[in-house]
Amino acid sequence: MTRRNIRILTLTIATLFLAGTAFAQINDPGVRSTTGVNAGQPLASVSANPADLAFFNAGLGQFNEQQTVTGDNPGLGPRFNLDGCGGCHSQPAPGGTSPSANIFPNVGPNPQSQAIANGLVSSSTNTIPSFVTATGPVREARFPFFFNANGTANVNNPNGGVEDLFTVSGRADAGTCSLTQPGFAAAQAANNLIFRIPTPVFGSGLMSNIDDSTLLKNQAAQAGNAFGVAGAFNRNGNDGTISRFGWKAQNKSLLLFAGEAYNVEMGITNEIFMQDRPLPGEDGAGGTGQTGLPANCLNLAKIGYPEDITHSNGTDASSSASDITLFKVFMEDLAPPTPSTTVPGGSTSISRGRTLFSSVGCAVCHTPSLTTQPSHLTAGLGNATANLFSDLEVHHMGTGLADNVSQGGAGGDQFRTAPLWGLGQRIFFLHDGRTNNLVTAINAHGSNGSEANASLNAAAALSLTDQQNLINFLRSL
Amino acid sequence: MKSRCSGSLIAICVLASFTAWGQRIQPAQDIPSQNPRAQNAPAQNAPVQSGSSVNGGDFSTITEPTSEGIVPKDTIIVKGAWSSASDSTTSLPEAASLTNNVFTDEYFGITYPLPSGWFQKFTPPPPSDSGRYVLAQLGRSGSFQLGQSDSSGSIMFAAQDMFFTPLPAANARQFVSYSRNHLPDYYQVELKPTQTTVGGQPFMFFAYWSPDAELHWYVLATQIRCHTVEIVLMNRDPKAMEELVRDMSNKMKLPAEASLTGGTGGGSVPVCIKDYAAGENVLERVEPVLTQQRHNAIPVRIIIDKQGQVRHMHFLSAYPEQQKVISDALKQWKFRPYERNGQRLEVETGIMFGAAPPAVLATDRTTD
Repeated sequence: MTRRNIRILTLTIATLFLAGTAFAQINDPGVRSTTGVNAGQPLASVSANPADLAFFNAGLGQFNEQQTVTGDNPGLGPRFNLDGCGGCHSQPAPGGTSPSANIFPNVGPNPQSQAIANGLVSSSTNTIPSFVTATGPVREARFPFFFNANGTANVNNPNGGVEDLFTVSGRADAGTCSLTQPGFAAAQAANNLIFRIPTPVFGSGLMSNIDDSTLLKNQAAQAGNAFGVAGAFNRNGNDGTISRFGWKAQNKSLLLFAGEAYNVEMGITNEIFMQDRPLPGEDGAGGTGQTGLPANCLNLAKIGYPEDITHSNGTDASSSASDITLFKVFMEDLAPPTPSTTVPGGSTSISRGRTLFSSVGCAVCHTPSLTTQPSHLTAGLGNATANLFSDLEVHHMGTGLADNVSQGGAGGDQFRTAPLWGLGQRIFFLHDGRTNNLVTAINAHGSNGSEANASLNAAAALSLTDQQNLINFLRSL
Repeated sequence: MKSRCSGSLIAICVLASFTAWGQRIQPAQDIPSQNPRAQNAPAQNAPVQSGSSVNGGDFSTITEPTSEGIVPKDTIIVKGAWSSASDSTTSLPEAASLTNNVFTDEYFGITYPLPSGWFQKFTPPPPSDSGRYVLAQLGRSGSFQLGQSDSSGSIMFAAQDMFFTPLPAANARQFVSYSRNHLPDYYQVELKPTQTTVGGQPFMFFAYWSPDAELHWYVLATQIRCHTVEIVLMNRDPKAMEELVRDMSNKMKLPAEASLTGGTGGGSVPVCIKDYAAGENVLERVEPVLTQQRHNAIPVRIIIDKQGQVRHMHFLSAYPEQQKVISDALKQWKFRPYERNGQRLEVETGIMFGAAPPAVLATDRTTD
């Protein structure tokens, strides 16, 4: 080895050493496992009322129910991402998000990865997409753009709709319906494929019950902040009020959220979404010339539409309610997760991290708390402090996070400020679940065009000890 | 124990140390991403598609598209409400640039050669529907990333269009007063708003810090073309910021109109007048009819020429359909030409279409 090469090697090693030093001193403690499961319970006011509790439990049961094409729980398909809400929303408890078999509380592998093994779909007609793995997040796939006839992405023709992963074809209860999966490989090769992971729904009744005026005042209170942050609301196209559910705040209400998910994620028609849903393009959108689903893939449940209805022969609220109403009740009555005051890092670290969170500007978007309006549903939802850590606005998050999918008024780079309650027991982060490391997720807030750049830079200017305090605080939530 | 790391073994010991430390690091789990080429992801067997190939949809069976068929990475193609302008020759506030490490904003007439080591890692977000701009965000080595121990603060150039501000402030002085009077309680004021000079022009100077974070912020603000132009410095070391302020004071070039309460254009740029597009000044008016998105705020700055025609339109935030509809309407507006001292002048003003964002009500704490 020449002397010059030795110098280069030494310099390289020294550089790596320094880099290792810097990163070694701040780390993500990971999913909080020593405090039990801190989410999934009903609101105290719901628990205290037997009728409300029964309604909640009926919702929980429906949330975890596995649907089939025909039979007792009919309506699945013809396309779907999974056969029940609770399969995807399960970490760390029903209502949460993507689970893991290896991370507390060890709910199980990504259920989508087991779709063939569990007999949910036929291996003769379905494959597990390469981006779905046993240890990875549950994923919903979308193609930002339609394709040209030659298979290339047409960036002048936005798509963005959900491309369900699986079809019922080949199942014993699917009849002659023969559908193929979307061309995920082609889309992936064209970089025309993005993902979303399930949003946790803990505390969503409180989020639903925040009056628009509270959100507007909070927005106004942040005007003139020194971090260059200026968000907007995604508004309902019909009445102009603020919508708030989903990664881009595209859904106005929990009932709408439930109805759309039932239809889009499971293929089950309901009183809000009355028709079986073709894929984007399958319905003619994007200039495909297609005319919808084949006739032999319609009314697969053989009960007519909608497959989920309000039951006129019910004997009480639970047995009368439609599935989507039960989902709504379950989500609405779910208490927010309980943060820890001591784990990880101890109370001093968490308390300091909480203060730093505001000082460096995170709280400009991640509003620590908002007060709800009076509630006619249950006392726990009314005039309550919702510690959601979100302003429910959509913000420009830059090229690094942009997915080029527009929903409602939100553009391809805009996302709702993700509520942070329950963060301590989440495994996967960001809209597409690209990382399970909180430090990586925070750093991903910085990129060209992101409103979070200045705040991220302030956080980066903290001492490493205080950066760790900030991380500990977030993992305490 | 005496260290055995010596001579040529140092490199190996260092490498071993690094490896050991690396094992303590919790790396991000390798989750398949949307970039298959980066991860060399195996190609999924493309399902056999029924029917003939069609234009659009998701029915392509081509797994190796040509390069022109690959969606460019890190590019925002599908935009929501965004900024745009009726022509590409008139300067815009958000079109600041960094060339040869010189910050230039032609619209505001500002240039500043950055001190050594400062650079822009990320371009700023687009203007907001409340008229808020980030013109540039500058950092140094270690900036914009957690886990670094040598971050050296930031310089942010920002602006607030005073035609559209939701704050009860009419000028830069009041804007700074509002900021100081509404500082969250986790900050402490180090210097109350004080008049100073930067680049020979008057600025308000205001400083605060976070005792918990041990970070300091300096805010310098002046008014140009009816915008409050802000320079926000953040650093752990106030002395470094003082040096920066001195450097700016010596090297920054600003237009003569820069002022704490004036800054209303004129000279080589149009005069700016709030609410000029109202009342008797508008001789002919065609209302735009928004048919799709219509619940957002759409702030538009226009320049009216000496004949009373709209010469230039700058949409701070508008959906493409809104931009077209409003643009088509504004082209038909006619104004009373603006005159000062018997001379016709170009005038710049703002019009808010759509739903205006909520305004902050004035309180006792609003201004000095």
